[in-house]
Amino acid sequence: MNAKLSPRLVLGAFLALLAAAPLFLSPFSVTLLNYIGLYAMVSLGLVLLTGVGGLTSFGQAAFVGLGAYTTATLTTMTSLPGWLAWIGASPWLTLLAGLLLTAVVALLLGSLTLRLSGHFLPLGTMAWGISLYFLFGTSESLGGHSGLTGIPPISLFGIVLDTGEKIFYLIWAFLLAAVLTTQNLLDSREGRAIRALKGGIVMAEAMGVNTSRSRMVIFLIAALHACASGWLYAHMQRFVNPTPFGLNIGIEYLFMAVIGGAGHVWGALVGAGVITLLKQWLQDILPKLLGQAGNFEVIVFGLMMILVLQRARGGLWPLLRRLVPVRVDNKHIEESAEALPRRTPPKAGELILEARKVTRKFGGLVANNNMSLEVKAGEILALIGPNGAGKSTMFNQLSGVDTPTSGEVLFMGQPVAGKDSRDIARMGMSRTFQHVKLLPTMSVLENVAIGAHLRGDKGVLSSAWRLDRAEEARLLKEAARQIERVGLGEFMHAEAGSLALGQQRILEIARALCADPCLLLLDEPAAGLRHKEKQALGDLLRKLRGEGLATLIVEHDMDFVMNLVDRVVVMEFGQKIAEGLPDEIQKDPAVLEAYLGGVE
Amino acid sequence: MEFPIALMLVQDGITNGAIYALLALALVLVFAVTRVIFIPQGEFVAYGALTLAMLQAGVVPTTLWLLVGLGVAVTVVDGVPALRAGRPGRLLGVAGWNLAYPLGLAALLSVVPLQSLPQLAQVALALAIVVPMGPQMYRLVYQPIASAPILILLIVSVAAHLTMVGMGLLFFGAEGQRTPAFSEAVLDLGPLMVPGQTLVIVAVSLTLIVALFQFFERTLYGKALRATAMNRVGARLMGISPSLAGKLTFFLAAFIGALSGVLIAPITTVYYDTGFLIALKGFVAAIIGGLGSYPLAALGALLVGQLESFSSFWASAYKEVIVFTLIIPVLLWRSLNSRHVEEEE
Amino acid sequence: MKCKRLVASVVMGALFSGAAWAQVKVGVVSSSTGPVAMVGIPQKNSVPLMPTKVGNLTVQYIPLDDGSDPTASVVAIKKLISEENVDAIIGPSGSPNAMGVIQFAAEAGVPLLAPVGTAAVVLPMNEQKKWVFKTTQNDQLIADALVGHMAKSGIKTVGFIGTSDPYGENWAKVFTESAGRKGIKVVSSERFQRSDSSVTAQGLKVLMSKPDAVLIAAPGTPAVLPQITLYDQGYRGKVYQTHGAALPEFLKLGGKKVEGTVLAASLMLVLDQISDSHPSKKIAIDYVNAYEKLNGSKPATFGGNVFDAGLLLKNAIPHAAAKGKPGTPAFRAALRDALEQTKDMPATQGVYNMTAADHSGFDERGRELIAVKDGKWTLIQ
Repeated sequence: MNAKLSPRLVLGAFLALLAAAPLFLSPFSVTLLNYIGLYAMVSLGLVLLTGVGGLTSFGQAAFVGLGAYTTATLTTMTSLPGWLAWIGASPWLTLLAGLLLTAVVALLLGSLTLRLSGHFLPLGTMAWGISLYFLFGTSESLGGHSGLTGIPPISLFGIVLDTGEKIFYLIWAFLLAAVLTTQNLLDSREGRAIRALKGGIVMAEAMGVNTSRSRMVIFLIAALHACASGWLYAHMQRFVNPTPFGLNIGIEYLFMAVIGGAGHVWGALVGAGVITLLKQWLQDILPKLLGQAGNFEVIVFGLMMILVLQRARGGLWPLLRRLVPVRVDNKHIEESAEALPRRTPPKAGELILEARKVTRKFGGLVANNNMSLEVKAGEILALIGPNGAGKSTMFNQLSGVDTPTSGEVLFMGQPVAGKDSRDIARMGMSRTFQHVKLLPTMSVLENVAIGAHLRGDKGVLSSAWRLDRAEEARLLKEAARQIERVGLGEFMHAEAGSLALGQQRILEIARALCADPCLLLLDEPAAGLRHKEKQALGDLLRKLRGEGLATLIVEHDMDFVMNLVDRVVVMEFGQKIAEGLPDEIQKDPAVLEAYLGGVE
Repeated sequence: MEFPIALMLVQDGITNGAIYALLALALVLVFAVTRVIFIPQGEFVAYGALTLAMLQAGVVPTTLWLLVGLGVAVTVVDGVPALRAGRPGRLLGVAGWNLAYPLGLAALLSVVPLQSLPQLAQVALALAIVVPMGPQMYRLVYQPIASAPILILLIVSVAAHLTMVGMGLLFFGAEGQRTPAFSEAVLDLGPLMVPGQTLVIVAVSLTLIVALFQFFERTLYGKALRATAMNRVGARLMGISPSLAGKLTFFLAAFIGALSGVLIAPITTVYYDTGFLIALKGFVAAIIGGLGSYPLAALGALLVGQLESFSSFWASAYKEVIVFTLIIPVLLWRSLNSRHVEEEE
Repeated sequence: MKCKRLVASVVMGALFSGAAWAQVKVGVVSSSTGPVAMVGIPQKNSVPLMPTKVGNLTVQYIPLDDGSDPTASVVAIKKLISEENVDAIIGPSGSPNAMGVIQFAAEAGVPLLAPVGTAAVVLPMNEQKKWVFKTTQNDQLIADALVGHMAKSGIKTVGFIGTSDPYGENWAKVFTESAGRKGIKVVSSERFQRSDSSVTAQGLKVLMSKPDAVLIAAPGTPAVLPQITLYDQGYRGKVYQTHGAALPEFLKLGGKKVEGTVLAASLMLVLDQISDSHPSKKIAIDYVNAYEKLNGSKPATFGGNVFDAGLLLKNAIPHAAAKGKPGTPAFRAALRDALEQTKDMPATQGVYNMTAADHSGFDERGRELIAVKDGKWTLIQ
């Protein structure tokens, strides 16, 4: 256990080996490493897009093609119009042109296809992937199916990178830069937003994350990675034709990402490496074992991949990581980091949330009828009622998830209707969910830090280049403070999914608190909690009340509610049947009827 | 464009669309029950057609040996645990289906005069060889990872597709094959000459769709599959075995695939790798149907068929560009009109 | 990496313990899987038939598959050059694949014998292309023969259907030029995918242009579908095919519906009708018989193109051996020079002549006009 290696050491050793590779490897092995680098760059984009962001794309090969064809056309064509000709003078200029073109195309395609939900999205990527591929093949100016030849090699500081050994360093510099920036990005405010895309969109939106923007961001990044790979490919191969940019290859990139471990940045490298080397190896070994007569490579390759995935669903990287004892360092929490600025708290007794005659009909069914309630700063209001009373519908009206048929909900004096979850979050309303919504593979700390999303503003580029560290330290410190506050301190670095359900509910409260809200909406916070935990939760909520926070609780647990809240609103059949102090409510005949008489 | 030409294009689109519709139905079924996006669906098309071509050439199809091989593998995978659990009876059952059946089929094929059999008997034999590979494939490839995320199942499908195409090249060679038409008759409808084979395709597709509908509505197994498709956990609680549902689904998918292959072999040249593009079009149709609706998938298939036919006419070099670009607005429209449910992975 | 190479070399050592005495190494890159497999498979199957002994030198062939992918072709070429230190390379099967590898062969100074149709691999001649020798008839050569036949038959307008791949693309270009020179107009030009299940629309479009004849350009069995479609649509005019259709399966799949087709291809299809004085006849018969014995079927002409590359090497190796030892740059350079000196060398596909300015290889003896008559290939005298 104590013999674990530091991650820096392992990375350093890897880089040193890589740097020395051309010295001790045969030229052909270096060639293979070059291809691995190119493929890994594309599958790295897919790790981000598919593995992390949950958006499956079959079309990445088309972006590789865009990069390759842009530079190929600009550097080989003699008959370019004057205003374009200067770009063709240097591959570095065509790289910029390619990235620009790819960004424009990706924005266009993204704005069309990223709106697609569910399975429509992968098919959408497939559709434009195929279209672009066939466009390459049918455009005479792009050399048609036969392709373009005579692409010059890249020069860097006067050195012409015309052999495998020379371009090796450029390819791997590109790749490592991409890997490290991606890693940096994922470990940041924006990164947490991206990681929430897979299975946490509703939650992330409620925390103020613009998930459509995050989707577009990773789509763009993946496309640009692919484009850069295509640029390098074109200048290494010095020839392009449409074949390497077709659907099959697009699928193969996805294949690499998944085999390597789609959720892990280094998985892209492992996947590209394993698949490239395995193919070569099979080509060497199979004819000797099975004879020259058939082509068994693909068959054996396919079977091996099926077996790998049956044995290791998460891909090869997690397996590999188990083999090398690399120390996993917990996130460092900078105690000296400056505290985040807080919003001016409302004065005690100020009206925070107000529902005025809210009615919500679903067809003929009236789920909420003429419901009114108020929550003031420094008070806890409970909304209770038997099953099916319409509490959840009311909760949705209050939190802006749903819009009332008539009546209105005012938060801080402004109507909630028509605002999206993000705006409402920004106004200071923060919520938990009846069915816990958290990201099970992320640590408790990171889950909670998502709550503070709106309290930071560093973007993608600053995250990628680590210009966000001061802000990040403040965000993490705030998250840690809230975790300590709700009593989850000992689980700070544990995976959120490993917590008991009750603790997960508490985590959600910490996350909501991280947003520095003035209203806390809690959807059945006590469900699944043990007695002690309930007590602790009660104490916490009382403390928050003391700090002037307004809290609305939808709850089943009578004991918990009655000992905690200031006022209670009781619902039945979509209507308010009682409102008042806990003691009054407990004696109210209508309430007793609803709860006791309602049983049978 | 003159009217008769348009009619001919429509007819061509319907013929292709009918095949896409069949495949789309199979894809929807497989996805609904097992969450597998069944890319190797297309390989069953090629295997069906080329196995039939080999039978008609009087050769014992090489696919038979694949059936035997898969049978042995399933017997080992299922038989060893059965033996360990001290249930030799189950081993016998497994071996019966997976060893005795293929070997019996092999014996049958080696004695009958393949070339001179009536065409329908040849078709039946081709199906008898290819279709059992469906459930065998489910057992070997998908059952061990039945609970994996959709993405992993998809990638496994890709690997299975690569393997099957590789084997197809080995079995059938790179050159394509055609088989004689089921009907040489031509129906003369004024400006339109409808070949008998087209009618056969459309008729068989319609029959199969109706039969599937009956199967799902009327039979116990059909209802079990529907239940599994709607709620996997619930179905299991009700005693429907997921692996049985999976095998049954793959049996149907393989049957539909192989039958589609048999149907198109007379009107086109089928290659070892033909299946992928045909299944891709079926897949497009299935997705237009939201991977859940059979009638919408069938409509989608007809739409794809028409798009293809007309774009081939207007600009054949740009056919795929036109078809796939036009799909995007359809997808957008479908996406906006279907309720978005966050995917649980 | 190292581990993999170690394993590979151990296996190599175990299985090819005889490799030490193989003095000349020739790499063969073919597309024996993937979309061009119908071209690559007969090529790969021809490798065991090629001469293994030239004078007192033995020749070892190292076949590799590129899966029809130009990237994989480049990888294969680099592997052959840097791992195997080959003296010459035969392949790859596809035109784009060949275009992509030329520079790497040239930079390493390894002669490349490319069995592809497009003349772009050897013309216009330059520093790189001087390392390339073509062992397949130029598409131009075949096209001229077809156009000649068309002109003689009084055909003025032609409809063209080709695959949308490099083969069909090059043919559309070459044929249009060639036809233009004889005053024949291409009135429609359609494309289809090899795997398309229907070309009805393309057929209709061609018929609407009312051509005197139709030319179909597709490699291998895909050449059949458009012709059958046209037949079924009622077209009974003349149909021309390229040498891509020159394989036994064309007749088998096409049956009655391809009767009367005219194509131009090497003499391999009509060996029994060629006069005994044709220098290629005996070589081609021997090749076809040997191929049939080994593989159980007659070869497509694509196989002959690779086999001929072996014969070209056999012819050139003794000259090169006089100037250097196999495995050295001197030997490879001498081999290239010797290949360039090839004069009147008969092979299965015709008679080869190379010059410093033109490495195309064939003259008119490399193609015959052939018609389908009574379900058989028949030489047009």
